Amino acid sequence: MTAVTPFPADARPLLEVRQLSQTYNLRRQKLFASRPTLRVLDTIDLSVRPGEAVGLVGESGSGKTTLTRMLTGVEKPMSGNVLYDGLDVWTGGEAHRKLFRRSVQVVLQNPRSSLDPRMRVGTSLLEPLRSLKIEGDHAARVLEVLDQVGLQKSALERFPHEFSGGQLQRIAIARALMPGPKVLIADEPVSALDVSIQAQVLNLLKDLVRDLGLGLVFIAHDLSVVAYTTSKVYVMSSGKIVEVGKPLDLFRNPQAEATQALVGAVLSVEAGLAGNALA
Amino acid sequence: MTITAPAVSVPKRRRRLDLNASLVVGVVLTIGFLAIAIISFFWLPSNPNIPNIKARMMPPFSPNHWLGTDGLGRDIVAQLMVGARTSILVGAGGASIALVLGTITGLVAAAYGKFADEAISRGADILLSIPGMVTALVLAATMGSGAFTTILALSAFFTPSFTRVIRSAAMGVLQEDFITSAKLYGRGRLFILARHVIPNIAGVMIVQFTLYFAAGILTEAGLSYLGVGVTRPSISWGMMLNEAQQTVGISSPLAIWPGLAIVLVVLGLNLLGDGLRDVLDPKLKRRSA
Amino acid sequence: MTSRNAIEVRDLVVGNGDVTAVRGVSFTIPQGGRMGLVGESGSGKSMTALALMGLLPMGWSTHGSVLHDGVDLVTQSDKALSSRRGRTISMVFQDPLSSLNPVRRVGDQISWVIRKHMGVDKKTAEQQTIELITQMKLPRPEQLVRAYPHEISGGQRQRIMIAMALACYPQLIIADEPTTALDVTVQKQVLRLLNGAAHDRGSALLMITHDLPIIAAMCDTVAVMYAGRIVEMGPVAEVFRNPRHHYTRGLLDSQPTMDNIALDGTSRLVSIPGMVPPLHDLPTGCAFNPRCAVATDRCRAEMPELSGDTLKSACWHPVPNSSEVAAQ
Repeated sequence: MTAVTPFPADARPLLEVRQLSQTYNLRRQKLFASRPTLRVLDTIDLSVRPGEAVGLVGESGSGKTTLTRMLTGVEKPMSGNVLYDGLDVWTGGEAHRKLFRRSVQVVLQNPRSSLDPRMRVGTSLLEPLRSLKIEGDHAARVLEVLDQVGLQKSALERFPHEFSGGQLQRIAIARALMPGPKVLIADEPVSALDVSIQAQVLNLLKDLVRDLGLGLVFIAHDLSVVAYTTSKVYVMSSGKIVEVGKPLDLFRNPQAEATQALVGAVLSVEAGLAGNALA
Repeated sequence: MTITAPAVSVPKRRRRLDLNASLVVGVVLTIGFLAIAIISFFWLPSNPNIPNIKARMMPPFSPNHWLGTDGLGRDIVAQLMVGARTSILVGAGGASIALVLGTITGLVAAAYGKFADEAISRGADILLSIPGMVTALVLAATMGSGAFTTILALSAFFTPSFTRVIRSAAMGVLQEDFITSAKLYGRGRLFILARHVIPNIAGVMIVQFTLYFAAGILTEAGLSYLGVGVTRPSISWGMMLNEAQQTVGISSPLAIWPGLAIVLVVLGLNLLGDGLRDVLDPKLKRRSA
Repeated sequence: MTSRNAIEVRDLVVGNGDVTAVRGVSFTIPQGGRMGLVGESGSGKSMTALALMGLLPMGWSTHGSVLHDGVDLVTQSDKALSSRRGRTISMVFQDPLSSLNPVRRVGDQISWVIRKHMGVDKKTAEQQTIELITQMKLPRPEQLVRAYPHEISGGQRQRIMIAMALACYPQLIIADEPTTALDVTVQKQVLRLLNGAAHDRGSALLMITHDLPIIAAMCDTVAVMYAGRIVEMGPVAEVFRNPRHHYTRGLLDSQPTMDNIALDGTSRLVSIPGMVPPLHDLPTGCAFNPRCAVATDRCRAEMPELSGDTLKSACWHPVPNSSEVAAQ
């Protein structure tokens, strides 16, 4: 029986955003008119602790993608802070920024696109170490990580097109693990995969959180996938976090309208067979 | 000792290069063309530039002159062989310069922001709106005709097309998630272009090169036919066509040989380009799978 | 012609000379019936649909028979098939943006289909278009007909596609992953509309998806495809509650749905090991054998055929059903 991960309420957040807001300037409607603005993120607070898996759900256009860009340090917020280990990643200095780059890694949606088709898998895996100039026994690290994601050593010499989608997603996860991150950000990591493969990848992510004490931010549109993988879910709508809670509570007693819409949209086989799924 | 055999032997599919017909024909014609040009440096049936009045207008299959001689008694085979050199020099030269310049400008347009893209793309549009033949004629008039001028004209004419093709191919690659990943773990723009973008658009570059190689040969023949291309002692198939015009009433096959050479070589390079496109373009391959 | 079926597929084989994507598929959908076709990428489910519509990509050919409206579609000419598409048999695709013409107003696209197939004048066609759009519960139909596809949302586009598919009261609607590209919250509305509209017109429905809850909600029978063959087929409740094939069992167990996960993070899905075999390299015997926990030498040597009464499955060692388990 697998041990339930204790909810590490006492641990300090590893990755945190505080009062994060982002506004985009839109195109001028008229000459001389001031440019209209669009507030895509509105005072967002979110945090993830070691060994904790948090989910982020919302419809398209809710601001999930922008928030992901903030969490990964691609985009700088207009106001608010992105903190890694308690220190702002944009104002904390070059050394801290390097630490952040190395400690927060990303797994993207489509594994066919996230690995360079002309690069051998082994080279792709070493890329983060080389780019981040991380010293140490690279060969040993590659073997260790391959073992963690359940891949054979022979994978290293091969090219991405020789693998199936599920295997490629394992490779992408392996690459993210290479620099020894503390936080993994997974953006829709199974929605491009075949159904029979999804459970393999979800279980792998759950195991990594448990065994390595990783913090996981899991972004998805499907509430049931998020509920399976995470222990705390943030619901986003129109740039705001409208509800935070344990999956069980969200399903049983959704408060915000957006949560109710998401819960209401979940179909199940039993409801379908009972004939009331579309009621 | 026990011998264990797997219950089911899974047939291993050997990775093979899909040899399509157009690729085979293209490769054969192109290699033949290159071989002839190379041989011409070591051996020629006779000097293609020295007139021999006694042997004027010999018909094909004459002794020592397989394809006969022209109005001044110069051997056709020798002229064709030396002409192949010119075609390669000018066609490959023009296409190579265009490839290098077009790759640099195309990559800059694709990766260095909106302003660079606008400047380069509009510049390419303007260059493309000037007819290539006019460019070549103006250049020949101002700089004097010759192989070097023709190469220059061709590269000015081809570069904007290369820029466009490379730019759009590079933009496609730059949208892929592996570029995002590389940026996330801190790779700079130059590294991304060199290690991720160029290997992924190499197929497009090769195909584009072969097609413009052929176009260059065609344009060079056209310019030399008009008398603004290469001049003797260099020999061009276009020049041979021009000279054949003077004797067209006496002997028609003279125009056939250089014409045939142009057709075969251009056809060969185009087939090679098309065939390579099918083999090298991973998208086409995936679609057929 | 008595008791005509909406479609009757017999031994359908679809291939391109190199690979065979559909390897002998047979099923029947009665008039007004609803069948779900479940499978992963590479299972041949989409190729089956395209073969029925005569829309296979270049180089692919069809063998077997597809009886529909008293004719065999396999032997029909392209022209005859084209006059059927949208009239007696219509299709809703996954991506509504790429299936609509971007430079024509959506109203014109619907009324064109009506005029082409129903032989009515322009005025009547336009009226019917407005009615259809109203039935699709789209707001302000008079303005919407004048919109271009990019001006409306994904959910609205898919409803326009459904309106177009329903315009001529087809005997059969084929829907290939109609909600996969949509936001989850819109999915239910679109399914409800498709369901109601097909029901009102008495159209049969062939629903192609990998999403089992959608099949449970929309269909009365289901066929599970794997590597180009149907491995299990029967009434939805029976297949989903008591599957006999290990692949179906695996699919039900491995997809996180409200049916099989506990919400406190303790549950663990049973995943199907391995991967879908590539078409050019299928294992001998039962194609599922390398991933199956109970596979034996027989599974590796002989291909099982569909067998059974109401629930047919193709497995040498079927999952024991609940009554058998109780008897032991």
